[in-house]
Amino acid sequence: MSDFDPKIIAFCCQYCAYNAADTAGSMRLQYSPDVEIVLIPCSGRFDVILALKAFESGADGVYVAGCLEGGCHFLDGNIRAKKRVAYLQKELKAIGLEPERLAMVNVSASQGPQFAQNVDDFTAVVKGLGPSPFKKKLAA
Amino acid sequence: MANTTTKTGAVMVIGGGIAGIQSALDLAEMGFYVYMVEKGPAIGGRMAQLDKTFPTNDCSICMISPKLNDVGGHINIEILTLTDVLSVKGQEGDFSVTLRKNPRYIDMSKCIACGECANKCPKKVKNSFNENVDTRKAIYVEYAQAVPLKFSINAEECIYLTKGKCGNCQKVCPAGAVNYEDKAQEVTLKVGSVVVASGFDVFDPTVAETYRYSQWPNVITSMEYERILSASGPFQGHIVRPSDHKEPKKIAWLQCVGSRDINRCDKRYCSAVCCMYAIKEAVISKEHDQEMEAAVFYMDIRTYGKDFEKYYNRAQDAGVRFIRSRVHTLTPEPDGNVTLEYIEENGERKAETFELVILSVGLTPRLNLKKLAENVDIDLNEDGFIQTLPLTPINSTRPGVFACGAVNEPKDIPSTVMEASAAAEAAGRVIAEAKGTLTKTRTYPPERDVKDEVPRIGVFICHCGINIASVIKVEEVVEYCKDLPFVEHCTNTLFACSADSLGKIKDAIQEHKLNRLVVASCTPRTHEPMFREALAQAGLNKYLFEMANIRDQDSWVHQKEPVKATQKAKDLVRGAVAKAALLEQTYQTKMGLTKEALVVGAGAAGMNTALSIAQLGYPVHLLEQTDTLGGNGLKIFSREKDVRGYVRNLIQEVEAHPLIKIYKNTVPKSSHGFVGNFDTVCKGPEGEFTIAHGVTVLCAGGHAHKPASYLYGENPNVLLSLDMDELLASDDQVIKKPGQTFAFIQCVESRDTDRPYCSKICCTHSIESALTILDRNPEATIYILCRDVRTYGFREKLYQEARSRGVRFIKYCLDCGKPELAAGPNGKLHITIKDHILNRPVLIEADYVTLATGIDPTPMREEIVEVFKGQLSAEGFLFEAHMKLRPVDLATDGQFLAGLAHYPKPLEETIVQSKAAAARVATILSKEFIMVGGVIAVVDPEKCAVCCTCVRACPVQVPKIVRNEKDPALRGHAYMEPAMCHGCGVCVSECPGKAIKFQFFTDEQLLAKVEAMIVEKKAKPA
Amino acid sequence: MIICERKPIDEIKSFIAGKKKVLLVGCRGCVTVCNAGGTKEVEILAALLRLDAQKEGIELTVDEFTLERQCDPEYVDELAGLVEKGYDAILSMACSVGPQFLSRRYPKQDVYPSLNTCFIGGALAHGVWTEHCQACGNCIIHHYGGMCPVSRCSKSIMNGPCGGSSNGVCEISKDVECVWHLIASKYMDEGRLAEFAPIQPIKDWSKSRDGGPRKIVREELVK
Repeated sequence: MSDFDPKIIAFCCQYCAYNAADTAGSMRLQYSPDVEIVLIPCSGRFDVILALKAFESGADGVYVAGCLEGGCHFLDGNIRAKKRVAYLQKELKAIGLEPERLAMVNVSASQGPQFAQNVDDFTAVVKGLGPSPFKKKLAA
Repeated sequence: MANTTTKTGAVMVIGGGIAGIQSALDLAEMGFYVYMVEKGPAIGGRMAQLDKTFPTNDCSICMISPKLNDVGGHINIEILTLTDVLSVKGQEGDFSVTLRKNPRYIDMSKCIACGECANKCPKKVKNSFNENVDTRKAIYVEYAQAVPLKFSINAEECIYLTKGKCGNCQKVCPAGAVNYEDKAQEVTLKVGSVVVASGFDVFDPTVAETYRYSQWPNVITSMEYERILSASGPFQGHIVRPSDHKEPKKIAWLQCVGSRDINRCDKRYCSAVCCMYAIKEAVISKEHDQEMEAAVFYMDIRTYGKDFEKYYNRAQDAGVRFIRSRVHTLTPEPDGNVTLEYIEENGERKAETFELVILSVGLTPRLNLKKLAENVDIDLNEDGFIQTLPLTPINSTRPGVFACGAVNEPKDIPSTVMEASAAAEAAGRVIAEAKGTLTKTRTYPPERDVKDEVPRIGVFICHCGINIASVIKVEEVVEYCKDLPFVEHCTNTLFACSADSLGKIKDAIQEHKLNRLVVASCTPRTHEPMFREALAQAGLNKYLFEMANIRDQDSWVHQKEPVKATQKAKDLVRGAVAKAALLEQTYQTKMGLTKEALVVGAGAAGMNTALSIAQLGYPVHLLEQTDTLGGNGLKIFSREKDVRGYVRNLIQEVEAHPLIKIYKNTVPKSSHGFVGNFDTVCKGPEGEFTIAHGVTVLCAGGHAHKPASYLYGENPNVLLSLDMDELLASDDQVIKKPGQTFAFIQCVESRDTDRPYCSKICCTHSIESALTILDRNPEATIYILCRDVRTYGFREKLYQEARSRGVRFIKYCLDCGKPELAAGPNGKLHITIKDHILNRPVLIEADYVTLATGIDPTPMREEIVEVFKGQLSAEGFLFEAHMKLRPVDLATDGQFLAGLAHYPKPLEETIVQSKAAAARVATILSKEFIMVGGVIAVVDPEKCAVCCTCVRACPVQVPKIVRNEKDPALRGHAYMEPAMCHGCGVCVSECPGKAIKFQFFTDEQLLAKVEAMIVEKKAKPA
Repeated sequence: MIICERKPIDEIKSFIAGKKKVLLVGCRGCVTVCNAGGTKEVEILAALLRLDAQKEGIELTVDEFTLERQCDPEYVDELAGLVEKGYDAILSMACSVGPQFLSRRYPKQDVYPSLNTCFIGGALAHGVWTEHCQACGNCIIHHYGGMCPVSRCSKSIMNGPCGGSSNGVCEISKDVECVWHLIASKYMDEGRLAEFAPIQPIKDWSKSRDGGPRKIVREELVK
């Protein structure tokens, strides 16, 4: 595993994932500081362009966190998000990016520990992959 | 306008659980001031403790948390925690309630809930929120989402308060909030009515010695198991047993512990929820670990609610074992396991060892309920719950005092929520004339228009005492942010949320002519409303504000990495500033409304709804497709209550009420519009006409299922339950004839593959009929052929009475064969059924056979959902907005439902749901206008390609293609009615023409934020 | 409308290999409606191309512009100002009419199609499109219960069904419904089978593609 500090953006829905992140905070669960959260009203607001722009700006990984399946406060926003993530993974793969750099996770508001675990798991994946090939050339 | 009413426009709600929360929110929205009295340090009640809820497996805290914040932030709800009710004097409309506010020892205005105090508190005590499975400190908050999120000191446990030593918490509190001198205070408040919603206790199985609960660690209660399952519980959601923290591979649930048991624990009633929660716990356990074996030992499985039966079926499919047996002996094994001995239905003795035993404990009256009832001066019933009557299910024995939830009778969350809204209706109705006399409204200075100004951003970075500052170098972040683009003013603050700091923020807005604000502190979930309020008070549009969460999502979670945490704080603030620069003034607009209601269906549900709405002061249009009011209620005969008289009386009241307009022989044909402004075209005897209304309540009813089996329609002595009612009401001679044998067959064409739901009422109905027969003809022979007897709640007492009076219950199951019916000689009916005890077929010769067939949804259902754009469940009942927390709301705002259209239910529950619907209606009709817009999707007609993507993608069917308003000849465009958009953003993210803007989360704003967070800061533009 | 689908990214990449400045042009017509070439798709493809270049260490500028329609010269003219800036390639995200109009108007530019033009059809549901017309030039669907045997029958037979129809599905794929089954069912459901029974005469194909490239001239409109 490389020892670089990746830059990871997490798009979190307001009802569950963002709330779970706060729960992790109030439980003082320690997780990787490489992940930074962007609040969105529902994971259904996740637009593929957000992830593309994040990668273009130099992110090493992006993930979308929504409510548990069946638990979306807007009915099926998390399902829409999941499909968009899967679509973009294919496109990214086609231009030579590891699709693992983009992911969809589901947590409920009380799942602070799961949220922290997700962050650490995803960070480990991205660290394993090394710096984003986009970013590497950008810096050069 | 002078206030001439003698009534007080305020209500006291006692109890801060889901019942109290729903009542309080409804009342406050109906135009009354609410005092919410909570005994504990925070509201939330039992629901906050649950892991998931049946039958949707939704996360409980996720559902209730937004409600907690709604209550906490409501201008017309005042939460009084740690408070007891001492006395209620006066009368309906004009009560004086004396309260004792117990000391918290924490100044709520200063506490920032940082938890430093608990960190340093040396005193560990049992964690009651986690059902004492683990420990917490003597100074504590109950749970992360608690409202109010303020610490409190447990005085009996605190070392300082008991021994005068320690004082750690006071020393470390960065806000100086700890006050050991805090004293109890008595206050007296004036209210017009009172709602008691103080909930229940779980049965303490210590007294039932058989279960060895207090002796063996691996025999636990279901409530303890809820906390073990919970991600925020003692084991962070890992399923481990208490003795050795090993993952149990085999778990048993023992039902009816502290319920349906007059032998040891004196609880004769059924607790109504335990079957479902046990199934839920078993299913969720198996989801955690598929290899885990789960077994439920039960007497009757009572899955009588909406979607419950399917849930039970799914559990069986998932491999959960259900064993009909009451376990008689528990024996400990040396390894912590427990061996259960029981007798199977066929008489065989069994012994089986489990690694964990969960007691499905019942619901009991709260320990302090007796005292509370004395203080409030209301009566309790023989089981210790609040005394109510079947036809007035939320009225206590004292006028003006109402009760809802499990304080009346054990019940599940949806029933509790319905009762809570019904109690709000009752409590509001008695003081209807005082509506709006005590409520407050917020006023603001005129808003400064900053649309054309260059962004001037103010940034406030909070230390949160040492919560942020002990990890993040706040001063460094301040210096860094000073030269971010458009930042005019940047400073640090010890507590951004203190009144003092909010004042400074307002001053800075004036002094530096700021037009955007960023606060880097805690979470917007709890604090954004407060800062937005400060902006509004300073004359800025409240949407020109963005938060950076550098506490909950930074300093608290990276405590050992201060350098990285500081870097992350800079990133987060940079992102917030970048978004802030692009924020736009966003407005909610006022929309007028028609303060009239449309009620569809004039059975017991529709009439009750209409009458309650009218009594609250709003005109009602009541549609009935037949030429008579009354519905099924006129056919019911009950031993306990005069249902027909009640319904006839209701008809008279409805017909006499000046605000109710009745349309007989009339059906709705089409309906358009949205909350506040619907137009419904109806067809009556005189042709078509249109009703304008602000809300709609669908009470389209249901009817008894007519079976195609059991000689129904062929043999005159084969009756449906309602036919038997008619016989009981009209023909005593048949009933009293000596030597008569009556048989009842339960679940006829019900709970099977074609109709996979339980109709909830039939077991009680048949038993009531049986008892009525016995009342008149004690020599009659009565058989009830049943599957599970589902006399939930206090109805269990009828089942007990029936058995004690000789009604013979013979159980059958689908696998071992349904009873068979044939016409015998001499006009007798011959029933053959395999007796479950004799294990052989028996022949019953009956004079009358009553078929309990359950309830079908109305045949009008397809038309109804088409006209009102609703949804049906697989069974054909209307689909409510949310099964748990919105049981009377439909998915479309401004539409509600009540009665059998929702699901089969007894009359008393229909009454409750109708009154609940009236309360929900009043929350809308009480307003002078509706605020719409804000954080929603808005279409730019110029860019719209009219492609229908949004129309198809929207989860709630809001977007429509409309004509161009400027010129109908021009191409139309998509349009989202602001009053209807829920604000999820699904359409925005799929629009191929980028024609939809999501206000406050626009593409530009989010992209700028993301880019700024990733890319190191750019030079400030000159 | 004309239903299109974006070409695989590799193919599009091959068009612009070695080029430094690319203009990506979307269309607000059919391809916006079928989610293939509107502003959003332009934005996504541009980002993907930029990312790919970034990865390879290539300097690449991708400018984005979406025209009202690419099949009308007046709209295509709107690009003139941009094109003057000088691009190494123009990628059209319209049906194949678009790149043809673009290259005719800007003959010195290399113009590439980014979409494959698939068929004339409509949306059955969000994200699902099916073929409904083959532009044969002589519409006869009124003989067939309002359904087109030319485009919707695999063999375009006029008097079907053939022996390959089974349980309403065409033998070529279980995902292709047999239009003849639909046609026959419709008449049967309405009790009008007799109306449908007559054999249809041989179709006049003179207006179809078989007669070479087609052209319509409306004299009253021609200036």
